[in-house]
Amino acid sequence: MNNILVVDDSPTMRRMVITSLGSLRRVKSTQAGSGLEAIERLAIEPVDLMVLDLNMPDMHGMEVIDFVRSHHAYRNIPIVVLTTKGEEASRTQALDAGANRYLTKPFDPRQLADVVGSLLKVS
Amino acid sequence: MDKTNPDNSGEFFDQFLDDYYAECDEHLVSIRRALVLLEDDIGAAAIDRPLLDGLFRSFHTLKGISGMVGLTAAEQLAHHLESYLRELREGTLVLSEPGFEALAAGVSSLQAVINARRQDQPIPSVDEVADRLQTVSSAPVSSAPQTPETPESDVSITRWLVEFTPTAELAERGVNVNSVRARLQELGQLTQAKPVVKGAGEIAFEFIVATGADETALASLKADGLTFKPAPVEPATRTREAQVVPTIAPASVVRVDLDRLDDLLRIIGELVISRTRLEDQLAELKRATPATVWRPLQETSQNISRQLKHLRESVMRVRLVQIGETFERMTFVVRDLARESGKKIIVQLSGGQTEIDKYLVERIMDPLMHLVRNAVSHGFERVAEREAQGKRSEGLLSLSAMTAGEKIIIKIADDGRGIDRNVVLERAKAKGLSYGDAAVNDSALLDLICSPGFSTRDQADRESGRGVGMDVVKRALEDLGGHLSMTTKVGEGTAFTIELPLTLAIAEALIVSVNGQRFAVPQSAVREVLEIESASTKMLENNEIISYRGRPLPLLRLARVFEMDSQRGAAFHVLVIGEDSNAVGLAVDRILGQREIVVRAIKDPLAQTKGIAGATELGDQRVVLILDIGALRQFALKSRH
Amino acid sequence: MEPFILFELAGTTYGVRSSFVQQIEMIEDVATVPNAHPAVEGVALVRGQVIPAMNLRTRFGFERIQHDLRSRLVVINTGNRVVGLVVDTAREFIKIPADAIEPPPEALTGLSGRYLEGIASIGERMILILNLDAVLDLEYTPEAAVEQT
Repeated sequence: MNNILVVDDSPTMRRMVITSLGSLRRVKSTQAGSGLEAIERLAIEPVDLMVLDLNMPDMHGMEVIDFVRSHHAYRNIPIVVLTTKGEEASRTQALDAGANRYLTKPFDPRQLADVVGSLLKVS
Repeated sequence: MDKTNPDNSGEFFDQFLDDYYAECDEHLVSIRRALVLLEDDIGAAAIDRPLLDGLFRSFHTLKGISGMVGLTAAEQLAHHLESYLRELREGTLVLSEPGFEALAAGVSSLQAVINARRQDQPIPSVDEVADRLQTVSSAPVSSAPQTPETPESDVSITRWLVEFTPTAELAERGVNVNSVRARLQELGQLTQAKPVVKGAGEIAFEFIVATGADETALASLKADGLTFKPAPVEPATRTREAQVVPTIAPASVVRVDLDRLDDLLRIIGELVISRTRLEDQLAELKRATPATVWRPLQETSQNISRQLKHLRESVMRVRLVQIGETFERMTFVVRDLARESGKKIIVQLSGGQTEIDKYLVERIMDPLMHLVRNAVSHGFERVAEREAQGKRSEGLLSLSAMTAGEKIIIKIADDGRGIDRNVVLERAKAKGLSYGDAAVNDSALLDLICSPGFSTRDQADRESGRGVGMDVVKRALEDLGGHLSMTTKVGEGTAFTIELPLTLAIAEALIVSVNGQRFAVPQSAVREVLEIESASTKMLENNEIISYRGRPLPLLRLARVFEMDSQRGAAFHVLVIGEDSNAVGLAVDRILGQREIVVRAIKDPLAQTKGIAGATELGDQRVVLILDIGALRQFALKSRH
Repeated sequence: MEPFILFELAGTTYGVRSSFVQQIEMIEDVATVPNAHPAVEGVALVRGQVIPAMNLRTRFGFERIQHDLRSRLVVINTGNRVVGLVVDTAREFIKIPADAIEPPPEALTGLSGRYLEGIASIGERMILILNLDAVLDLEYTPEAAVEQT
């Protein structure tokens, strides 16, 4: 059973992501409303993949990627980043920092499910 | 209509529309609040950073979720608003007047688009507003880069470095990074919150909090595995500008359907009735049961009563919202109206934290808006006229709210023209509403203005001070169990006061008996209860009075008001209502007891009558009418003159 | 064919469409409402709602009688209003064909004529079909009575 951590400060967006992933088998989701909460989740339970929004209060998504990639235990967790239109620069930055894939909002739910599914198979 | 996403994913996300609207509402509330604060910063070199960050993030989120549900017009607007905020944050732009206006217009348009989608109406065009935003975003107005404001250091404040290591057990107990942060924010100002990696790779969080509280306050943190020590003197330099701000929507917040709360309250109401029945049955049991058996039963019944009261209060609190949100919405309307009519008006708000039931707040919106619109359109004079009178050129509109007992009191006051009663009387005569030549006080003036025949839509209304729809306002407020009153002075202004009941459903009441029939009197209206001997009443002119605290207290015999035969026994009870010179004593035969009652409205006009506010049932299935103290008091005052 | 509820009042049989009848109750406690219209006996609590109880005898100008075990409160729900009607007895439930109902003759005088939608003849029986809107509509304003005291 894979645990997917969905990180976004908008509860509606989190729900949309989780529902989009509903078609994947042997997968459960956990939610975090901020970067700090996300890192707390990592500390407390095993996480197999993160879907991460970039623009969040207190701790920007980029800082979360930096933190995760610099920690030996979590270095290899696949990260899918959700960006919005007009954030092209952030996209490349995120990939440079170690994100595996990005999707632009509004995203196609099936595409999200495909990307996540394929990343889970590989790891 | 707007385009849906390719591959029909727009329809997929339609199931989230309710969540979407709810989240939009939340963001729009905080956006409006922020804009009110931002208006003071037009032209300022440095604007409060968290304010801009909050606005930026709200627009960013709205952009994201609007795109997901396929509302492209909203996505577009939010995108432009976000871009403008980005420029402000980065200091490449100074907030100008046209910039602020464009922001405000953008927000109004955003709200309109979302509402249109919500009500299945055609989506209005956003091109014009989008253009305005783009224009101000690219305006080359440079300024010195903004320096983030650092709080002034105070000698008595200590900065502590608090470390929190999260574990599954702590999380189970409810101790997590959010709850810790909230606690620290209560203690003082949080200036840092970041994750760190400890020796063996465990994750911990470091907070820096500046507080005047002493070590003992922090000692309680130890119980939850937190350690603290004085923070290093140098504030940590942050590579990325991530200031710690209270999160808008923490993941531990739940949205609740108002209907579900109503169900809860109804069930609680039924519990109250059952418990009352239990109490009655226990009372009967008392005679035939040994005290050792009966007393614990009674105690349990009383415990249940207490717990029910707390339960009811807790649920009611869930329904409570701060009236400040409503006030802020009205501020926006005032600004727009004032600009349209070329007037200058300052809005002063107070008591915004006063809590009011959500049911009520939704229903007073229209009447309040009406009064505010009237004030702006008819009450306030233009700048030239005001200055000619020696008044300040900006008109002052003050909105205030406070609770008094079980009522909430809302006041809308202006320092404008005031209402000229001569003009009103002439108009009333012209419309055939005769009022005689008796001295017309403010209360009578209000009655006139609110009479259905009075309000029409013609020019003459402007002079008469208040125009369209006052009868609707009065009726709407009375339907809610509320009361409207007014004071006015020509040349100085007008003030409207609205009284509304705080809690709708359940109230403490005194049960009284009049001519053998039981009535319920809301406890909150009763100042004191007296037992009076019939022989001690006197007549003063045509009024029956008793001596109360050294002054005459006029009596109102309920039996007379309700045209019942009255049996005058040797003694009777008096409920003192009202204050000082307005105090009246309601005379009843006996007081039977005190109860918590579930208030039910009498909706059908056949059964509605002045002096009766509703009905309840005391557990024996027998209906008991609830007295309308306000109406009875007015009746008493009227019949005195 | 439409279903009707029948009730008796001073020896005459009246009918209302059963779609308007929410329920029929025994006359339990009716709390007197002061200064109400003389035809309004008071209010009763039905399904958590406080509704007026209108005495049809008084409404139609008949002599009022004491409630007994056969008296009933017929709770009418017109969609807009819920009102209870106090009647002598209410037991029957019949179907009446549309062509059996005729408009009330113009010569019918007396108060009750105003409140009729029509008259149904079923065999030898005459059933007066009530016009509920007319029955429930009162021009009387209770406030006026209080003002006069």
